[in-house]
Amino acid sequence: MNPYWLALGVPASAAAAGRAGEGGLAAPLLALGWWSLQFTPWVAQIEDALVLEISASERLFGGRQALVQALLDPVHAPLVAHFAHGATALLALARLRIAPLCTPQALAAPVLAPDDLPVHTLAAAQAHLATLERLGCRTWGQLRALPRGGVARRFGAGMLGALDQAYGTAPETYAWLRLPEVFEASLELAAQVESAPALLFGARRLLAQLQVWLRARQHGVQALELRWQLDARRANAQHHDAHHSGTGIGRLEIRTAQATPDPRHLERLLAERLAHVSLPAPVLVLALRSLQTCALPGQSQSLLPETLHTGDSLQQLLERVAARLGPASVLLAQLQSDHRPECMQHWHSPASAQRPIPTRDAPPAAAALYPSWLLAAPQGLGLTPDGAPLWHGPLALLAGPQRLEQQAWDTGPGVQRDYYIAHSQAHGLLWVYCERLAGAQAPQPQWYLHGVFG
Amino acid sequence: MSALPHLSDLAAAPLDSLRADVWRAASLAPACAETVPTGEALLDAQLPGGGWPRGALTELLQDPGVHAEWRLLLPALAQCGTGPVALVAAPHRPFAPALQAQGLDAQRLLWLCAANASAADALWASEQALRCAAIDAVLAWLPQARPEQLRRLHSAAAEHHKLLFVVRDARAQAQASPAVLRLHIGPDADAALRVHIVKRRGPALQTPLRLAARPAVLLRLLAAHAPLQALSPVPALQPVRQHHTGPAAPPVRRFAA
Repeated sequence: MNPYWLALGVPASAAAAGRAGEGGLAAPLLALGWWSLQFTPWVAQIEDALVLEISASERLFGGRQALVQALLDPVHAPLVAHFAHGATALLALARLRIAPLCTPQALAAPVLAPDDLPVHTLAAAQAHLATLERLGCRTWGQLRALPRGGVARRFGAGMLGALDQAYGTAPETYAWLRLPEVFEASLELAAQVESAPALLFGARRLLAQLQVWLRARQHGVQALELRWQLDARRANAQHHDAHHSGTGIGRLEIRTAQATPDPRHLERLLAERLAHVSLPAPVLVLALRSLQTCALPGQSQSLLPETLHTGDSLQQLLERVAARLGPASVLLAQLQSDHRPECMQHWHSPASAQRPIPTRDAPPAAAALYPSWLLAAPQGLGLTPDGAPLWHGPLALLAGPQRLEQQAWDTGPGVQRDYYIAHSQAHGLLWVYCERLAGAQAPQPQWYLHGVFG
Repeated sequence: MSALPHLSDLAAAPLDSLRADVWRAASLAPACAETVPTGEALLDAQLPGGGWPRGALTELLQDPGVHAEWRLLLPALAQCGTGPVALVAAPHRPFAPALQAQGLDAQRLLWLCAANASAADALWASEQALRCAAIDAVLAWLPQARPEQLRRLHSAAAEHHKLLFVVRDARAQAQASPAVLRLHIGPDADAALRVHIVKRRGPALQTPLRLAARPAVLLRLLAAHAPLQALSPVPALQPVRQHHTGPAAPPVRRFAA
């Protein structure tokens, strides 16, 4: 089968602005190359364009025009590209320079014959354009008609080789593009950035690039590292803090429990984390690297409306709140098998590695007699002259006592607590206890408030 | 002849069939959205739709220092679904074993803004929780919320169809509020719960409701101790007797050796 090449280029306006409404990509041509790798393994970058050899995969995608249509898909492709085609890569590239095409229907239109292409479209001839002009040699056909020996002596063997490749008489080999195992991209910022939240604008372009890479690999990201290089001319570029280690490079690590192919959640996490970073010096270069990714299973779509999710997932909520307010502000409850009230439950952060071992026992039926609020630390109560506990007025003891032994293997000498349900005129039912030292005769019992029946 | 219907015809027309958000002054509004029963028949009868409205803001007003929200909300929270119940900026530590014994599974409790969060953070976290698909109900303690902030939460709850309860100080009762239902709750005599419906879609209710709103086992315990209570309202200082033979002998528990 004859080779068939496409040349893809990024229009100047699209490269500058990115797609409408989006921040654009850090390296648009590379992203386009990653996207093209799903159509053919033979993708190479030549100067500022991509060349693709598609003759082997045309049939798989349902013909040449269907393949080009999928390649230029305005919804899924990372950016709007234009293209040209030809029997060799250099021919397609030359046509891209002269008359780029935008729609797959243009494949059927007549194209310029190789002999009529101007010589400036051949990269090897760029250095000799003035000489060729004086010779009156303006097209590929005229150049090819010159004696080969003379051309080789005058312009070097490279010119002949390029011409042979362009006409398909010599094989073409290029440095083929491969999808990297680890995503790594850097971005030189257009201007110095002084505040950390403003780094997000650059990071957004890196994340858009990451999304193209993740889609091509069909992976989701679990851990990411954002690095930035401080301006070394500033005196405090050697600053030390949580994000800077004194080498002039700052770093921030983002982790997520569920691998996600969607950078919007990562972007929100990054924004919350960057809000807590202070930059000691202006930043010139940003870099993003994937630390941990995993393959995503395919998702089947449903047509039923009730299976469509509205809103975020729980995992995203937990991570976002923890990123903004700190991991200690998101807590989940875990029941423990213990008879002491303060040890019956354990509130733990979902992100923390130290998870309590879940108990399989349901709480005892008597737990319905316990209050719905438990004070973090028991609050000492005053006493009336006749010895009754006092809290915003005297307390009437309604039920009790329930004696709970505080002694356990991990605590010191045993303390007994006699729990009562007390009634306060203003606050309703309260859970109070009277502390007694085991064995010893305490001179004066101490009363504490431990819970509120909410 | 005029094309307009006569006034008497209009009055005779079934008003309820015109629009869901138009109701007669003397009767309760029809339920315009799904409701969750409160677990108290007395209260259900007084609420439009017979329960807590889903997808709307319900405001609970309490006097300072009073925390009576759990006893009122627990039956509804226990049966509103299986997803997490977000507690935003809770004033104390919720006691999960007691809540589980009353029907709200401890696995469903999600405590947000547990550590010294500002009022703005609590509002933000409440809205994020409302926008999360997995969460069934949001219970937020927002003493300083302004009406426009509450309106924002209200529309987030309506958009995502969530139960939303905001607990505020009773001093906010004079302020305007976008809540469809406002209740002033507090303890009453005999450990009952007094519920005054401040605002509802229907006629104003002058007399507060009195609800038991306690687990049956606790009510039985209190009833069993009532005779003792009548004898000595404030017991003397030696309440612990080793030879206690009362109806509820002190259960002495020891760590299993």
